[in-house]
Amino acid sequence: MGMTITEKIMAQNSGRDSVKPGELVWVDIHTVMTMDYLGKQCFSKFRSLGKTEVFDKDRVICVSDHLVPPPNQKFATMLNEWREVVREHDITHFYDLGRQGIAHQIMVEQGHVLPGKISIGTDSHANTYGAVGAVGNAIGVTDAAVAMATGKAWFRVPESVKFHIKGEWQPWIMGKDLSLHIMGMMHWNGHLIYKTLEFEGPAIESLDMAGRMTLCNMTVDLGAKNGIVAPDATTQAYLKDVAKGEWEMIASDSDANYEAIYEVDVTNLGPTISRPHKIDDVVEVEQLVGTKFNKAFVGTCTNGRLEDLAVLAKILKGKQIHRNVNMIVVPASQTVYLDALKAGYLQTLIEAGAAIDTPSCAACAGIHTGVAGDGDIVLSAGNRNMRGRMGSRNAEIYLTSPAVVAASVIKGEISDPRLVQI
Amino acid sequence: MIRGKCWVASDYVMAYDIIIQQFWTSPIDAEENSKWVMAGVDEAFNKENGFKDHGYTFIVAAHNFAGGGKSIEHVIAGLMGAGIKAVFADSFARLQFRNAINYGLPFITCKDIAKGCQTGDELEFDPDTGIIKNLSQNNSFQSVPVAPFVAEVGREGGLMNFVRKKIAAGEEIK
Repeated sequence: MGMTITEKIMAQNSGRDSVKPGELVWVDIHTVMTMDYLGKQCFSKFRSLGKTEVFDKDRVICVSDHLVPPPNQKFATMLNEWREVVREHDITHFYDLGRQGIAHQIMVEQGHVLPGKISIGTDSHANTYGAVGAVGNAIGVTDAAVAMATGKAWFRVPESVKFHIKGEWQPWIMGKDLSLHIMGMMHWNGHLIYKTLEFEGPAIESLDMAGRMTLCNMTVDLGAKNGIVAPDATTQAYLKDVAKGEWEMIASDSDANYEAIYEVDVTNLGPTISRPHKIDDVVEVEQLVGTKFNKAFVGTCTNGRLEDLAVLAKILKGKQIHRNVNMIVVPASQTVYLDALKAGYLQTLIEAGAAIDTPSCAACAGIHTGVAGDGDIVLSAGNRNMRGRMGSRNAEIYLTSPAVVAASVIKGEISDPRLVQI
Repeated sequence: MIRGKCWVASDYVMAYDIIIQQFWTSPIDAEENSKWVMAGVDEAFNKENGFKDHGYTFIVAAHNFAGGGKSIEHVIAGLMGAGIKAVFADSFARLQFRNAINYGLPFITCKDIAKGCQTGDELEFDPDTGIIKNLSQNNSFQSVPVAPFVAEVGREGGLMNFVRKKIAAGEEIK
């Protein structure tokens, strides 16, 4: 019996010839990521294990993303304590304010995650790393502390579920639409808890790295352990200049075992949206056309990449955002910010009436930068819409793609991007 | 054998509701986190020690307990600080399932248990056999046995202790 890509990665990184779903294994960790608001606690737990030096200074990646730039004294002080502890441990890769980005974007764009390897992070959307063919997994500070000390983490080998994605991508349909479609199809409380989700097929081959990142990113919101796309030519091209370390191609065996196989044809996929409070309450945008909202947000580790900002700029070029809508755009990293600036996207968005903010998790974590207040109706290209996610528990959040947000801000009503005159 | 009162959670009790957003940046501390644990689940719990003061020993839930994809350990620390000794459910969100294992708090998978319990019922849990008795309703449930590794981590009082001992003894972790 062959193995799936995730099983192979778990076997290779635990010194085994093979593994089976359900087995508990200690695996070698390629990189451990931690960030500003939990990082200090990671280091202090790590110290309590009786260690003073991390297992590899080049492979513990520290990022300031949730608290920057600090909106209040409490966060400013937390950041100072965080900086002190990172410097004390002489961490090579510290992406602090000025060189920052959302940790998951940094991990991928800076080449800290590689095909065939396992990387973990103290934030739930670490599943994003599957986009380059890594096993990316979210863990708590305890696991991070243990990995920082030993270079290892324990895992239960997950059952694999395959999503065969076929068909042709239609104009303005994005990886996010597929993510939300699958969310509606499988449901949040469904049977994907603990599973690995493997995406393959012609429509994955034709999906760019940004789309793959969106898709893998949101597998955590399906309850899955990880999402993964096997490396291909797109991966090779993406990693060519950024990879920090050697890697090899890896793929599932043709006789690998899947607990279930689902098929989606993107040819028929329309713009998709999740209604407030439950992420799996998913409908096609067509059904909500005309719904009014007053805030729009595009950013996050789900949809804050250059390709996402390009879509916004393309739709909003020469247009005006409705006077009743406040729109905030937050590039996912300083690199994305600079690239979007050079490409002229930010100028287009500012001319349309959008506010651009410093790369960070921003309002997605409900902590700062455009949080939602009572009565707000937010159209967001983020990843979660439960009560209180972006601030007030008395706000409503619709989740959708950057294309739908861009099309909708013109009228201040949920709109179908396919009908906008470009 | 552990004995005590249970609280039955409705579906969709998320990590977000167990520890609400304003406390995510608090230190992970059982005493501190327990003061406001469950604040977002029920208005009655949204006050200092609102949940803790009920003196529940167990939580009974249905699917995807502590879901929503939040990895913060404040959730587990808060439950432990509030006196929770075990949680029984059809299924758990994996991030918090993992955190519970790492903290040595039994998250026990048990099919349909929420259908056979009401808040306030007196339960008795035998960790060795996995049998959960509802003494108030006179029924019992056989839970899914925990993996040997999970049991070992539990006996050590959590992953930190487990690993600390190995490091101190110079033993390889495998």
